[in-house]
Amino acid sequence: MTAHRRAGPGLSRRRGSTPGLAIGTVLLLLTLPLRAVAQGTPQHDPPQPPGEQREYPSLRLVGFADVDFSGTSHREGPRGFSLGQLALHLTSELSPRVTFFGEISFTARTDAGTGDPTAAGFNTEVERLILRFDQSDRLKVSFGRYHTPINFWNTAFHHGQWLQTTIARPEMIQFGGRFLPVHFIGGLVEGSVPAGGWNLNYKGGVGNGRASVISRAGDAGDSNGNRAWLLNGFSKPDRVFGLEFGGSYYDDLVTLSSGSEFRERIVAGYAAWLKEDPELIFEYAGVRHREQGTDVVNWNHGYYIQAAYRLPQFKRLLKPYYRFEHIDIADGDAMFATVPELDMHTVGLRYDASLFAAIKGEYRTWTRGELVPRNHGGFFQVAFTF
Amino acid sequence: MTITRRDFLRSAAPLAGVAGLLVSMPAAAFGQGPEIAVIVHPDVPVDNLTIAELRRILLGDREFWTSGMRVALYLRAPVARERDVAIKDVCQMTEAQFRQHWIAKVFRADTPSGPRIVYSGQMAVDQVSRTPGAITFVEASAVVKGVKVLKIEGKTPGQSGYRVR
Repeated sequence: MTAHRRAGPGLSRRRGSTPGLAIGTVLLLLTLPLRAVAQGTPQHDPPQPPGEQREYPSLRLVGFADVDFSGTSHREGPRGFSLGQLALHLTSELSPRVTFFGEISFTARTDAGTGDPTAAGFNTEVERLILRFDQSDRLKVSFGRYHTPINFWNTAFHHGQWLQTTIARPEMIQFGGRFLPVHFIGGLVEGSVPAGGWNLNYKGGVGNGRASVISRAGDAGDSNGNRAWLLNGFSKPDRVFGLEFGGSYYDDLVTLSSGSEFRERIVAGYAAWLKEDPELIFEYAGVRHREQGTDVVNWNHGYYIQAAYRLPQFKRLLKPYYRFEHIDIADGDAMFATVPELDMHTVGLRYDASLFAAIKGEYRTWTRGELVPRNHGGFFQVAFTF
Repeated sequence: MTITRRDFLRSAAPLAGVAGLLVSMPAAAFGQGPEIAVIVHPDVPVDNLTIAELRRILLGDREFWTSGMRVALYLRAPVARERDVAIKDVCQMTEAQFRQHWIAKVFRADTPSGPRIVYSGQMAVDQVSRTPGAITFVEASAVVKGVKVLKIEGKTPGQSGYRVR
């Protein structure tokens, strides 16, 4: 900008002079500010041999996106083609031990073009924003906005649809869902110890927990004076390479917009066999609510089991899969009064069209309680990373 | 480590060809290629790794040496035999699974970056000799002074029972 502003008057003053002189002058004027900037840049680091050369900050960008198609017997969710989500993941090393991680998503809105002011076509969301200090493998401390580490799926696949075998997340941890708190704003301490080949990992965090709208996290501040806290531990034993199992505990006081308050406690556990022949994931979460000032306790349960197998034929490009998921909501739970129950079967096939793109097709059939008619539908997705 | 296998072969030039042939013959007889040495920067305070520890480094689950120095993993570009040995034999993965693992690893915010790519054995050795905390896989015959050869499960390249080949 500075260069152009300086070039403008220079051009007008030299109108009528020889073109060569004018061009030379313009080039000189254009390069002057750049040279000034270059000379003004402090040279902190002496030249280093190639092997040691690291520049900070070092920003890297990776993206994920998906395009979907769905058709269901009873309308639920988008119909026909839909743009899934564009997720951009940013990583920047600020120093050898300090790293920034960010994730921004763009999601198509169903109410685009309506309302006053008119709703935009896409929602932009800061999904994750983390600044982490690495002391060692045993101790890493970070602050920011996370995907709550009380659920395996939530922290294994994030918004990368291409990373997960299936088209959709399990409903218990669906983005925008209410069964489990998907996001968490605060601080996290984490690390791992070899522990004789058990490779024990831990995470402990304190943060805002759910907002008054329970599908949201308290991005702009907590809804009450009580912070949420969580503990998570998991193991990846050397002797059974491919196995990962762990558990979590989460505690929060949730204040709804109505003013009623609930003590929320979540216990969760999972086991995953992450090799693809087969791939097995089982995950359970129990959510306990007690309304403040009462002795009424309600337990809500959710679990899913997923099995997949990468076929050795067809150049290992095909991966059939099946998932069953279940959500059971306690009748008298006022905090989950509008959270639907679920029994769902999913059968699908993933085809890896390239190293970084996959095509998935699914059939799902599900019910949301005894009085609700069974629904079923076909789903299709192209998911990729770039 | 003071004398590498390559140093030995250089100093005993007349015997080098015979020694190399003897070392490579059993591997060739079993349909396996030459042994792959795991080399690190001389400052790395480790002399021996188990296969499981090596796998954790390759998969980014171990990011620091015991001294607190950050691990800098260098890997040959795809198709190189050193890379195949590291991914298929040590990690028990396909190339596609390994790449997806690292994309996911960075995406999960577990680690800031994936393995750094090198395009020749010589480039791998050069980078490791200059970069504190560096580790890579090279053919045992490519090892030169200025790097440290790690024992794997207590065995060095050339010893019976050495598993990285």
